[in-house]
Amino acid sequence: MSAIKPIPPVAIEKPKAKVWNGARAIAEAVKVADVDVIAAYPIRPYTGIMNSLASMIANGEFTADIIVADSEHSQFEVVKHASAVGARVFAGSSGVGLAFAAEPIIVTALSQLPVVAAIGTRALDDPGNFGMEWSDALMFRDFGWLISWAKTVQEAADMTLVAYRVAEDRRVLLPHFIALDGAAITHVATPVVPVTKQQATEFLPPYRPPYRIDPQDGPVTKAQHIAPSLIGPEQRKTIDVAQKRSKQVIAEAWKDFAKYTGREYPPFLETIGMEDAEFALIGMGAYMKDIELVASRLRSKGYKVGTVRLRYVRPFPAEELINALGGVKAAGVIEFGYSFGSPFGTGSLYHEVATSLYEADTKPTLLDFLFLGGREPTVEHFTQLAEKVIESAHKKPQKKTYWLTLRGEDI
Amino acid sequence: MTVKLVKVTPKVERYPEYEELDWVIAHGLGVDHTADITSFSQTIAQAGSIKGIETYYYMRYDDSPERNYIPMAFYTVLGKPKVPVLLHEEVEPVGELFKVIAVFSSSLLLQKTAQRALLFDGAKKDAILLVNTSITTDDVVRLVKKYNLAQDWFGKVVTISAAKIDSAIAYPMLGALARGWDRIDLDSILTALDVLGKEKKKESVRKGYEAASVKEVHVLAEETEMFKKIKREVELPEFTGEFWTPEVYYAYQKAAAEAQTYPSRIATMPRWEVLAPGLIEFGPQPGKRNLGFTTPWRWQRPIIDMNKCTDCKLCHYYCPDGAIDFAPIKVDYDYCKGCGTCEKVCPVKAIKMVPEIEYLEGLRDEEVLRRFEQREYGF
Repeated sequence: MSAIKPIPPVAIEKPKAKVWNGARAIAEAVKVADVDVIAAYPIRPYTGIMNSLASMIANGEFTADIIVADSEHSQFEVVKHASAVGARVFAGSSGVGLAFAAEPIIVTALSQLPVVAAIGTRALDDPGNFGMEWSDALMFRDFGWLISWAKTVQEAADMTLVAYRVAEDRRVLLPHFIALDGAAITHVATPVVPVTKQQATEFLPPYRPPYRIDPQDGPVTKAQHIAPSLIGPEQRKTIDVAQKRSKQVIAEAWKDFAKYTGREYPPFLETIGMEDAEFALIGMGAYMKDIELVASRLRSKGYKVGTVRLRYVRPFPAEELINALGGVKAAGVIEFGYSFGSPFGTGSLYHEVATSLYEADTKPTLLDFLFLGGREPTVEHFTQLAEKVIESAHKKPQKKTYWLTLRGEDI
Repeated sequence: MTVKLVKVTPKVERYPEYEELDWVIAHGLGVDHTADITSFSQTIAQAGSIKGIETYYYMRYDDSPERNYIPMAFYTVLGKPKVPVLLHEEVEPVGELFKVIAVFSSSLLLQKTAQRALLFDGAKKDAILLVNTSITTDDVVRLVKKYNLAQDWFGKVVTISAAKIDSAIAYPMLGALARGWDRIDLDSILTALDVLGKEKKKESVRKGYEAASVKEVHVLAEETEMFKKIKREVELPEFTGEFWTPEVYYAYQKAAAEAQTYPSRIATMPRWEVLAPGLIEFGPQPGKRNLGFTTPWRWQRPIIDMNKCTDCKLCHYYCPDGAIDFAPIKVDYDYCKGCGTCEKVCPVKAIKMVPEIEYLEGLRDEEVLRRFEQREYGF
């Protein structure tokens, strides 16, 4: 027998997978991202992230100023100002905590400061509802923040690094939320391949703001008084254009990320089985894993079901979505957010999808499936709704929206 | 980065729909005059209503007059408009609209109102200029001519020293208005006060009516000394490149400063493309101060008694605008906003805040003129 040729060593040194929950994985990504200032204030399910960061800093794993603020409002003020003087910053919150921090969150985008913050999505209480709902993150849909949505713990960690890269790009300079489905990502531990310090350093250049507030750089004024007649619409346009430009930057960043880490992601939409699909299930976040499972089961029964997962809500990939849904007879939007009193009683994500499809040449029948109030869905629910989508393709559906997990009549 | 200059000529439009209307514009200083200007406008509107004229009044919203001393304005409209009217002279170039220009503080007389419109921008040819001042009608006319506030003006000047009659200066002003303008007579104002439940103020209105002095004026365009110097063209820098740089920023600032006439500020504010992310404005150039856009708000000024001054420089360090130089201590009135901090911190009480009005009116005319020349009001 001739000698077996030895396998050459792989070019990329593959780090060993760790078993981390979402909170820990995000914290580890923040660590390798070389963040300077972290502001924290506990609220479930975000708390795990700040706990992990705090213990890492305490253990001397990395150096950063961590400031535990007196409230979420102060927390986001701290990172806003730290970002303005040129620091790379990290914050995060959940549910009503974000609602309380709304004012600094909104002005952070208007000041074009690339703050990166994690949202452990949580229902907006009262009364103390800590279930998973999207309303808290989608509340900030309209203010210039980039918002990405992770499916897995691995993706959440990777998104954190890409978020810094996109947010700090000079063509963008906008703050970035990474939405993590509460509990489903933040509290679930899965194997994660960490991004090494070297990979992070190569992928993510140091933050160099074009105009930081620093005596060395000469005097600049930020957030000065703006009378509407002076710079009103112009400011809004600047943000608008930055959002539009971010699409290109996001695509570039994910491509580059694959180069450094070997992990490839489609930039905006993850489609599975959409090449020949007649039915589509559209959604975001961690529960897409269950939805993909349901789709594959139905496929084995002969139904051509595909899934479309949005990775970004802002900027919203409308063109990509229209392309993905071309040729689809019926589609269902699966979502955990709602807008009371909205057109046909539909949810927030449905509005985005329907608005995009209005421009499409062929429009599928579109249904909306709502999981509200934080009650956890099961595979059974997703199977039910997929069957409704299939049924709607040949039989006109009686209604547009379905509240799943609801006890009582869904009227 | 190349800075190219582009000429922009603001145009003034006429509104035929508004010709039947009589507009009253009342200028004052924010907070100090807000209540008085409101009462003044409200009473005129009520008086007009009593006479069967359709009326309404509103404030110039963009002024944000909740800030002390920021120049502010109220509009009162008398007559039935052919189209619904909501004028914002900021946004729309105005035609000949204002029949009455009421000035609640004579410090505003020569200042550009909020650095936006000039006092007579949008005025009718036969406008009535009503000023709360202790200087004479002749002095007012001379200042109008000297500083080119009006061209082709065949109206009236009414002056009243309102504060001597009533601390609520709106009411003597209303009396003076009735004296100078026949559309709103004294009786209808007095009836309006009844309706508004301000019977006690009737006496002030009557006194104002009697104390007011009225003078008919004819100001021809050629008479105004600086007519030729008026700039109706604004030169704007054009930008190229990623974001704006200090170079382009200063060019805009310079253009804004040179464009003294309405709508200078609007015309010289940049296009969105040049705005730096987060609306950065650059600091002053080395050795220079930023342009003092808010200087016209000043209603009081620090006067330093050099005999008392010990040259401790506290005022220099405390001045929030860096408007006080030292060696020797000297106030730069082009930047001073009149906040009074220097007076508060002076350990030897060498600094006194003198109301701008008092300062102006305490001088006789030649000195007043010289002062304004020094400050290069006008053009």
